[in-house]
Amino acid sequence: MPVGQHRSSGSAALAAADGGSGALPVLPALRELMPRGGLGRGSVVSVPESGLLPFAVLAGASADGAWCGIAGMPEAGLAAAAGLGLDMARTLLVPDPGVNWPPVVSSLIDGCELVLVRPPARAAAQARQRLEAALRRARGVLVVAGDWPGAQVRLRVVAQGWTGLGDGYGRLRSCCAEVVADGRGELAAGRTRWLWLPAEDGAVTVADPADIPASLPGESAGAGGPALRAVSG
Amino acid sequence: MSGPKQVSGPGQGSGPDRVMVVHCPEVCAAAPDDRHAAHAFERVVAAVTDLCPLVEVTAPGICAFAARGPSRYFGGETIVARKIVTAARDIGVACRVGVAEGLRAAQIAAMSAGQDPEITVVPAGGTREFLAGLDVSVLDGADLAQLLRRLGVRTLGDLAALPATDVASRFGAIGEAAHRLACGADDRPLAASPPAEDLSVAAEFDPPQTLAEPLVFAGKALAEELFQALNRKGLTCARVMVQARWADGKESSRLWRHDGLLTSVQLADRVRWQLDGWQAGTSGAAGTAGAADDEYGGGVTLLRLAPDQVVRAGGLQLALWGEAVITDRVARAAMRLQAMLGHEAVLRPLPSGGRNADEQVTQTPLWDKEESRFPVGQPWPGRIPGPAPAVVYQGRPRAATVTGGDGRIVTVSGRCAVSAPPVTLTVDGEPPRAITGWTGPWPLTERWWDDEASSRRARFQLVTDDGRAWLASVRDGNWQIEAGYW
Repeated sequence: MPVGQHRSSGSAALAAADGGSGALPVLPALRELMPRGGLGRGSVVSVPESGLLPFAVLAGASADGAWCGIAGMPEAGLAAAAGLGLDMARTLLVPDPGVNWPPVVSSLIDGCELVLVRPPARAAAQARQRLEAALRRARGVLVVAGDWPGAQVRLRVVAQGWTGLGDGYGRLRSCCAEVVADGRGELAAGRTRWLWLPAEDGAVTVADPADIPASLPGESAGAGGPALRAVSG
Repeated sequence: MSGPKQVSGPGQGSGPDRVMVVHCPEVCAAAPDDRHAAHAFERVVAAVTDLCPLVEVTAPGICAFAARGPSRYFGGETIVARKIVTAARDIGVACRVGVAEGLRAAQIAAMSAGQDPEITVVPAGGTREFLAGLDVSVLDGADLAQLLRRLGVRTLGDLAALPATDVASRFGAIGEAAHRLACGADDRPLAASPPAEDLSVAAEFDPPQTLAEPLVFAGKALAEELFQALNRKGLTCARVMVQARWADGKESSRLWRHDGLLTSVQLADRVRWQLDGWQAGTSGAAGTAGAADDEYGGGVTLLRLAPDQVVRAGGLQLALWGEAVITDRVARAAMRLQAMLGHEAVLRPLPSGGRNADEQVTQTPLWDKEESRFPVGQPWPGRIPGPAPAVVYQGRPRAATVTGGDGRIVTVSGRCAVSAPPVTLTVDGEPPRAITGWTGPWPLTERWWDDEASSRRARFQLVTDDGRAWLASVRDGNWQIEAGYW
């Protein structure tokens, strides 16, 4: 499809900032999990299909001024994402990119430095390679909610537990989560960090080992024992 | 660009100039994508342009021009009006013509039924008198008319009798404009001056664009850009000129007016009208056989928007046009996405108020006027405290069952007593989960004054053995999951 050259004589066009640096920033709590402490431009990061972690990955760069596109997540809890630092004024949503989603994501990559997508269907290897090429050209970062063979970084939540609820009283306050990062290069060995995801104020912080509940549901150390009855706040 | 105001002379006194308005009711009532109506109106405008070159299209179905020049040339306002009505009838469009001092008054004259079914010429200097007898409902803004009527102000004459300063302090800029109109002064001072610099914006298409959608999207983006440029300078414009150049070198330009309240989407609609009308006009017969519905033969090479009659903004515009700046790069990508998936497919989130998890963010199509569905910054009793859920089943809660130790579904009585502590949660389509913590019920009755929208629910927060937490609600024994925390 021919695309019109967009030229304006009136207003100074605000070119998307691209400092040429190799990485977009992440939230301080996530820095130790990421290679070189940020999101490498042109790279793919794989995250869980839903939950807060995908938004936590976007929040640092969004707060820093990057535009974010979110595709294929009609149930995105944007109020929670905003609590982490995502700037809604610089966010575009494409809730339903359709089965033929790769060109849609490719267009989003042209406009937004950060794109979060949950693929509605499996992409053929060829389509994935084309997307990765578009990503490198635009020097953006693709965050895939789901599996992505060859992703530079893969983030997973292996155990988590909420505090604040008892038997018929209290309210949800914060969630302690064990997050594992693995992938290529310096992440080959994998890294594990305990995070409050979210902390009581809705932000993400590194959990103090003393505060981590003794056992959490999940596949981590506490998995064998009885499931944790949520810690009452 | 000279408009009606520039043609002023000393003869008519100090009031606004005489304006002639042509109003085609059928075209006004037509849907924005009615090509037949667009085509017919385009031909009416062309016929009017034969009599007077400076015609301003005020809105689809309404055009206006300064009455002075043509009426002198043809020997009277009524004669000019009669010529227009006859020309329109030949085209097959019924129209009414009104002449009065000031655009708004002339518009009201054109729309009001007079002795002559087709022409209302308010005598020179008699505009205030003509307006005085009219009901306040002719004013823009239903709220204002209602408010005035409640205060005992029933006609424009009553309104004119009030001191201008009182009206301005009570009703603000809208009231001031209405008062000015009622007094026979133009409803809007057009201190028109040519812009000191070129504020026009343009998009070029190479190869020529033959499809309607990308052109309309380009029009939207250009309008956004133009309004932002004006906004930054504290200006607004009374009219926008839309200019399209076709591949064969022909040009169509039209002045569109919306009294300074044009939004980018409304302007994009007008771009479509103009292109549709032009296309139908040049291809001879109405409806081009063979051509697809949304294709323009030959294609458009340039689309340009230029502000006309630039005036200082009154302050109302800021809120209407939004403040978020969309960069060029984002705008282009978003336009392409909308061309692929449709206008409604690309959304922008906006923080909102409301009690429910799915009301905390309003999502509006990109380029549309953004407005929170529920006001922010007000207390919303019953709003769920604590961290916001990361998963919100936007308007489509998931069906679920919550059972107690005896396997029976947990219910909540009218007095807010839980039948049994919840033990198992089964979300539709997923294996059952053991509940390890819960809180509730939090009763919520919304909109009790409105039978249809009224809902009586009790909400719970549940924690399950996989470490996830859920916002569940029960209504008449039916459980559903509104949101998830993990």
